[in-house]
Parts: sequence; structure tokens; C-alpha cells
Amino acid sequence: MKSFRKMTYPYVVWISFIVVAPMFLILLYAFTKEGNAVMDFVFTLDNFKKFFVDSVFIDVLLRSLRVALVTTVLCILIGYPAGYFIAKSSEGVKMRWVLLITFPTWINMLVRTYAWVGILQDDGIVNNILSIIGVRSITLLHTEFAVILGMVYNFLPFMILQIYTALTKMDNSLLEAAADLGADRVRSFLKVTLPLSLPGVLSGITLVFLPAVSSFFIPKLLGGGQYVMVGNLIESQFLTSGDWNFGSAISLIMVIIIMISLYLTKKVDKTELTERRAN
Amino acid sequence: MKKRLIAATLLFGMLIPMLLMSGCGKKEVLKLYLPGEYLGDGVISGFEKAYNCKVIIENFDSNEMMYTKISAGDSYDVLIPSDYMIERLLKEDQLQKLDKSLITNIGNLAPEVTNLSFDPDNSYSVPYFWGNVGIVYTKNRVDLADLEKDGFGIFLNEKYKGNIYVYDSERDMFMCAFKTLGYSCNTENEDEIQEAYDWLVKIGKTMSPVYVTDEIIDNMLHEYEDLGIMYSGDAAYIISENPNLGYFVPESGTNRWFDAMVIPKNAANPELANKFINYMCTEKAARLNTQGVGYASPVASILKEMTSEDGDYFENEAYYPRTNANDELFHDSEYLRKRLSELWIKVKAASE
Repeated sequence: MKSFRKMTYPYVVWISFIVVAPMFLILLYAFTKEGNAVMDFVFTLDNFKKFFVDSVFIDVLLRSLRVALVTTVLCILIGYPAGYFIAKSSEGVKMRWVLLITFPTWINMLVRTYAWVGILQDDGIVNNILSIIGVRSITLLHTEFAVILGMVYNFLPFMILQIYTALTKMDNSLLEAAADLGADRVRSFLKVTLPLSLPGVLSGITLVFLPAVSSFFIPKLLGGGQYVMVGNLIESQFLTSGDWNFGSAISLIMVIIIMISLYLTKKVDKTELTERRAN
Repeated sequence: MKKRLIAATLLFGMLIPMLLMSGCGKKEVLKLYLPGEYLGDGVISGFEKAYNCKVIIENFDSNEMMYTKISAGDSYDVLIPSDYMIERLLKEDQLQKLDKSLITNIGNLAPEVTNLSFDPDNSYSVPYFWGNVGIVYTKNRVDLADLEKDGFGIFLNEKYKGNIYVYDSERDMFMCAFKTLGYSCNTENEDEIQEAYDWLVKIGKTMSPVYVTDEIIDNMLHEYEDLGIMYSGDAAYIISENPNLGYFVPESGTNRWFDAMVIPKNAANPELANKFINYMCTEKAARLNTQGVGYASPVASILKEMTSEDGDYFENEAYYPRTNANDELFHDSEYLRKRLSELWIKVKAASE
């Protein structure tokens, strides 16, 4: 075993270059501002103050959290039945379903989101169909509806696959045991299947909520330029205003929010496990 | 031993084609860095044939993006930035003088595009396209009288609520605000900036506009909304496709801009770069370019040809940029750029 340990060294070097160094730079930029010629960096908390003092930025943050939350809830509501259905199908059918769900992810996310622009725009597919039935055209693109639709569409596969994996790993004899002990189907679902699939749901939440809260091209394409989320705020700081310090501070705030949500999901996971053991 | 032999043979086998490949391709190379969708068909292939060389094209989304790359040390032979960016590159001594002995066609240029404030005697730059910023509108839904009365203020006219496009660029939208309020678009006066900011926030809060970038070209072509801000060249193109569209530039003034070819200090092949600039001033190249892209040509005879009765842009009000005393060029100001972009994200975030 000892001789294999050395093989991790390149990995450690790689990680420190690719992950640790950029994180350190974000940290450095977030707490500094451009100084004078003698000293390049001056410590400051202004970047954070700027964010929290201005109600506009707080609104953007709240909007991002709200959209990500709605997206996650919708993904669970759609993803759970879908994952359950696939897990209960026969072996061959199962693989076909999984293939169908992963199939769109082979295409670049940006391209798929552009496709929705074509579907939703004023003379797009949806409005064309509506006009055939005689319904007046409705504005779909550049609305919050379009943004959430785009997010659910893009992130749903992650949720379905997580739940599906958790459910297939489940031992079916547990359900038989529950039935033997007199539990009806609803009861055995609530007492056996649901708790056992919870870790899958939780990792699904992580995989959906995190990219949703920091997404920037979905709101830009489907919500229009006025639909600003935290991701767009960060993007604009780096690409147009050139205020890297403020951009880094916002990134850091996001990192903290993400870490808190990760911690919370982990905690739910743990209490679930210990409760189950105690039972 | 045997294994090593195989490995060595394989390695050698890989090396030989690499050596062969580096042997050919002795053609001269020109690296061109310009905004996207900014070249007419046949322009580059014509140059490649005439000078037996290869042109590598790279596109940028904004002058700022180009500046970041140039500052990082990337080398190109010809850049096509805007007026204010050329001002900045000159200030930082990043450009080299043109070799006028190679640019013999410079006399073809129109008087309106030469000897401009950012490069008074054209020692560093030769214009590529020029234009201004105005309002594109659908003739059947927008009353021209409203445009003449309000200018850019039409963006606050309740009649068009929910049917307007705002161009997602702080520079251009703050310009509209400044000009409507009667200020210079280069003002650094904080009260004037604040007033312009309030004007823009009011549009966002009361008129439910959609903020778009280049999608506006396609969307206005299909008349999804009534009106929007657009560059003259894009407007000229969609007006030539859809006669129900019009282009209006307010009397209160607008931004007049010039994009020009320059050669950076670290260009690998300055001689070919000068030849390219010269080639772009020929009537043939200028014609292909303006026909393909829609922006106003810097070459005098081509401007005349395009607006004449058989020209592609006959009676197209957007093609030939007007001359008006209220119109202004942008100047390079690091302060204003930062301040406006800081405010712009807030304008967008406050929109409903």
C-alpha cells in the first residue's frame, strides 16, 4: 500500500494549482483593493459592505435563492416519480430509460438552452401551435417562467438519476418483510422506500440547487438582460466593470452560502441515518 | 530490448510527419483580431489570393475584451477597435506607426472619416467602418411625430410600454440618457450621471423593457416589438430586408463612432499588416465588405455607389451616418467606464 501512496503526489500538485490557488486568489481579491505604487494590496472590507448595504444587490441574491429553490422543488416533484418509475421497470426497459434521460446531456447545455429560445419566442413553436388553435400569442420568453423552465429542464436529469440510483440499490426483500408484517403499499412506501431513497434525494438537491443558484447563462438567454441573478452579477464585475475585487467578494459570499447549504444537507443526511439506526 | 525498439520506432514514426508538416506552410501569416460578424464574404479570400498568405481571424465581443487580451501580451498583426479604445491604446503606447508608403490607397477615404480627434493625421489608424446610434422602429406601429417630439425620450412614452428593446450596453444607453437630458456623453459630473441613472431606472421600472444585445437585430427584423436602440449599420441591414422598418436619430444628438484598423507594437508581421490595411482601402474590398455587413464604408466612391439609385442602400436612412453638431465621439475615460458599468448592473437589477 505504501508504495501506491506516492502516486497521489501529482494529484496533490494538480489540486493545489487548479483548486487551491484560484480559491486563494479569490480570497485575496475579496479582502483587498488596489493600493498605491508602493503596496499593491490594501486590506479592506468595503467590497462586502458594498454588497450588503445596497438593497439592489440583496434583491438579486434573494431572487437567485428563490429561483434555485423553486427549481429544486420542481425537480424533486417531477424527478421522484420518474426515478421511482424507472427503478421499478424491468431490467432492459430500465437501461433504455436511463439512456433517454442522459441522452440530452450529451449535447452542450448552452445549445439546448438556445433551443428553448426558439421554442418560446413570440413566433416560436409554442405560439405557432397556439395560433393554430386560435389562442392569442402570449409572451413566454424573457419571463421568470422561462428561466425556471430552462433550469428545471437542464438540471432535472441529475435529480432523476440520483433518485433512481438510490432506489435500485434498495433491497426488495425489505418491502416483502414490510408486507409480511402487515403494512399496506402506502405505509411500506412511507416507512421503507422513502427513507431509503432520501440520500439520493439529498445528493440530487445538491446537484440541482448549487448550479441553479449560480447559473448565469440561463437567466441571460431566457430571462433577458434585465433578469439579473448572482451569476450575472459576478460575470459583469469581471467582464465589463473590471472590478475584480467586488466580483471576488460576491463569489466568496456565494461560496459561503453554498457551504452552508452543503452542511445542512449533510446534517439532514446524518440525522436520518442515526435515527434509522436507533429505530 | 525488443519493447524499447518498438517504442523508438513508434516515436520516430510520429516525428517524421511532424517534421514534414513544419516544412510546408511557409506562407506568410496575418493575424487579424476584430469584432464578430464584421467581414463581408470574399474579402479575406481575395487578400489571401492577392498576397499568397494566410489570414487567421479571431473575434471579440467588446473593445474591453480585446484590451484585456492585448494587455496580457497576445500578439496580432491588425486590430479593429473603436475610436475611444484607439485613444487608450495610443495613450499607453501600444500601437505602431503605419507605413504610409505601403498604404497608397489612403486617398480613397471619405473626408468625414479622416483626420479625426483620436488620431489627427491618421498616422496610426485607418477607418474600417463608421456609424452612429439611433432608434429602429416599425413604421405602422410607431408615430414618427412621437419620435420627432421625444427623441430618445420615447422610451418613457406610455404608448409603447411593454414593446421596447433596450440595448444591453451601459455606454450606449447612458449616451441616450445624457443626450436626452442635454449633457455631453463624456460627462464626469456626478449630478449629471445620477440624473441619467434615474432616467434609465425609470424606464426599467415603468416601461417593462427587454434588455437585449445582438438578438435585437433578428427580433426587430421580425417586428416582435415596436422600437429599440440599434447601431446604424445593423439598422441599414434590417431595413434593406424589411421595408416596414425605419431608423431615427434624435436632433438632441447621438454618439458618432469609428472603428479603425491599427497595428499593435508587438505585431509579428507589420509589413503584411500595412498591405492588408491598404487592400481594405481598395474599392473592390470596400464594396464587398459594406455589402456583406451593412455598415457605412470609409471609401468615398463606395459610399456614393451604395446610396445611388442602383446601390444596395438606396434611400436607406440608416446607411449613411449624418453630420450634426450635437453628435459626439466617445472619449477614453477609465473613471466613466467603471462608474457606468457599476450603475448599469443596478439599472438592470432594478428593472421589473
